Amino acid sequence: MNSVIGIALKDIKIFFREKGTVFWTIAFPVMILLLFTAIFGREIPFNANIGVVDYEKDTQGISASIMSGLNNTGVFTVKNFTDKAEALKELNATNLRAVITIPKNFTQDLYLGQASVELVVDGTNPDVTRLIRDAVKTFFSEYYKQFYHQIYGTDYTAPITVHEEIAVVGQEIGYKENIVPGMLTYPLLFSSMVVSTSAIVFERERGTLKKIRAAPIRPINMLLGKTLAALFQTAISIIVMAVLAAFLLGPKLNWDVPLLGPIFFLGSMNGIALGLIISCIGRAPQEASNAATTIAIVLQFFTGMYFPIEYLPVYMQQMGRVIPMTYAAQALRDIMIRNATIGDLLLPMATLAFSAICLYTVGVLLYKRWVEK
Amino acid sequence: MIINVEGLVKHYSDVKAVDDVSFNVEEGEIFGLLGPNGAGKTTLMEILCSLRNFDKGKVIVNGFDLVKDSRKIRGIIGFCPQETLLYDLLSVRENLAFSASLYSLSSKKLKERVEYSAKVLGVGEFLNRRVQQLSGGMKRRANLAASIIHDPPIVILDEPTVGFDPHIKREFWELIKNLKNYGKTVLLSTHDMYEADEICDRVAIMDGGKIAALDKPHILKQSMGGEPSIHIRVKEPQKKKALQTLKDYKSTFIDDEIRIFTTNPWETMNEVSSKLSSQGILTEKIEIMEPTLEDVFIRLTGRKLTEESK
Repeated sequence: MNSVIGIALKDIKIFFREKGTVFWTIAFPVMILLLFTAIFGREIPFNANIGVVDYEKDTQGISASIMSGLNNTGVFTVKNFTDKAEALKELNATNLRAVITIPKNFTQDLYLGQASVELVVDGTNPDVTRLIRDAVKTFFSEYYKQFYHQIYGTDYTAPITVHEEIAVVGQEIGYKENIVPGMLTYPLLFSSMVVSTSAIVFERERGTLKKIRAAPIRPINMLLGKTLAALFQTAISIIVMAVLAAFLLGPKLNWDVPLLGPIFFLGSMNGIALGLIISCIGRAPQEASNAATTIAIVLQFFTGMYFPIEYLPVYMQQMGRVIPMTYAAQALRDIMIRNATIGDLLLPMATLAFSAICLYTVGVLLYKRWVEK
Repeated sequence: MIINVEGLVKHYSDVKAVDDVSFNVEEGEIFGLLGPNGAGKTTLMEILCSLRNFDKGKVIVNGFDLVKDSRKIRGIIGFCPQETLLYDLLSVRENLAFSASLYSLSSKKLKERVEYSAKVLGVGEFLNRRVQQLSGGMKRRANLAASIIHDPPIVILDEPTVGFDPHIKREFWELIKNLKNYGKTVLLSTHDMYEADEICDRVAIMDGGKIAALDKPHILKQSMGGEPSIHIRVKEPQKKKALQTLKDYKSTFIDDEIRIFTTNPWETMNEVSSKLSSQGILTEKIEIMEPTLEDVFIRLTGRKLTEESK
């Protein structure tokens, strides 16, 4: 047999005997295809939470019909407010992407052709800002068209502008300002997870784990050593990426290192802990490595790193909200774009810390169980 | 005694890898586990190093119970497995420093131990070279140096010279004897009867997870392999006829040779030569061999050391 064929056959046989490797090799394209189909295979690839503040409360049900109409677009999930300040608070807390205020006398102004609503939109993501602006304008234009037809029985011919007062929360930013915090989330998810997976798998594969286990050290010491090294490598990725982004893209961002540092640390710890779990579950090195890569690539869709989480179907958005890295990505955007303070970051920090502790504990227990086997 | 093993049992599923093994190792001796592949030597050593659990039995090392005080035991053992467990991209010095960190050695102690390794194990000449640049023999020496960097009183060596050229093997034997001279207790496994004979104070012969015999090599040879043997090789077509001719002697057929065990080798050799000649059988080789540990093993198991254990 030709040596090339011989080597190829040997590798293929080994591949099929490592069941986990086969699984992840098949799972990767399946998961990516399912994800893309779920995200982009829909008519409306966008859904954002918005607040509607209704000061009109008219008896003719105009404002109620606006709210149900907005809900029926499929683009918005509408939450009703009676107080604008309360709605803006939610907007600032990133729970809403926009707030539409229906003023008093809206119905009367509508009959006079002078109606206006106020739109306050989150300006921290240019894609989202543009989509919401366009969708809201289109909605009100269509709404007025139907209203005119119902009242006057004819189609209006001249374009009637629905007056909008558009304001933006935080600074209105460009694409590069939006993408840089997303890029900085990448090492937290990818580098930390893959580095920690391969660090342990490497020791196992080379047999050097035997040497470490023969020494009088606790398993936790070994894991902490690995964690420190993985943190260092992740930090290098982050620093290189941040420096390059700052010089090449020159984004106008808030580089608040004392606030960014803890988020980077907590985010990396989540990635490292996940990597540790994968390395203990994967039997063959190739299996663990494939699993880490697949999971990291799939998770990045859920975290809003590269495109707004609103592009995801609602159920996927909810899945994204239980992934710690989503909070890291959001916290980085909050610091760098919205100039968030430590007070604003307490919840994401607590979430990241809690999930890191839980994941790390699971990782340590799995490692101990593996060692004791 | 520094190591006491009593009734040790270890299963891998249905296979008994270690089957009711008991032995003691005295302080300062070189104790050998001699047996073929699959005899249970490595499993036994890995149990002593707390790398594997065991199902039954009791192990006391330097007064510590292996179950209760495994971390203390790991601190006083230097384990050098068959494979070279060094990091290729690090220098020997860096590998030694890493191993020292596993035992929390101070930098002063590390310096002393590196000097010791240079002097006793001869790693001084390649301390600053990366492991990937070293020859097989250098790697093994560096591996041994890393395994005993913490100055353990007990050194466990799993097949320390397997795959070595004869001259490197001899060099390594000297290193192991030197460890004894520095007061270490050495427990080693081997399937090389000459190695066991040459460097071990006492040898336990293992087969099928059991200890078949245990004593000083010369006593084992006297008591069980005691008789010298006559090794006879004849041409292929005449083998059957030769075996038939010599059927009245205490003989076995191993490695294409007929071996006859006798207390009176010279007289027996003359007799055998005459009988074979009278039958027209030509001998390619006929010589008297003193008993070896391999003979002891053959006597005990009916097989050679190079064959797999049953």
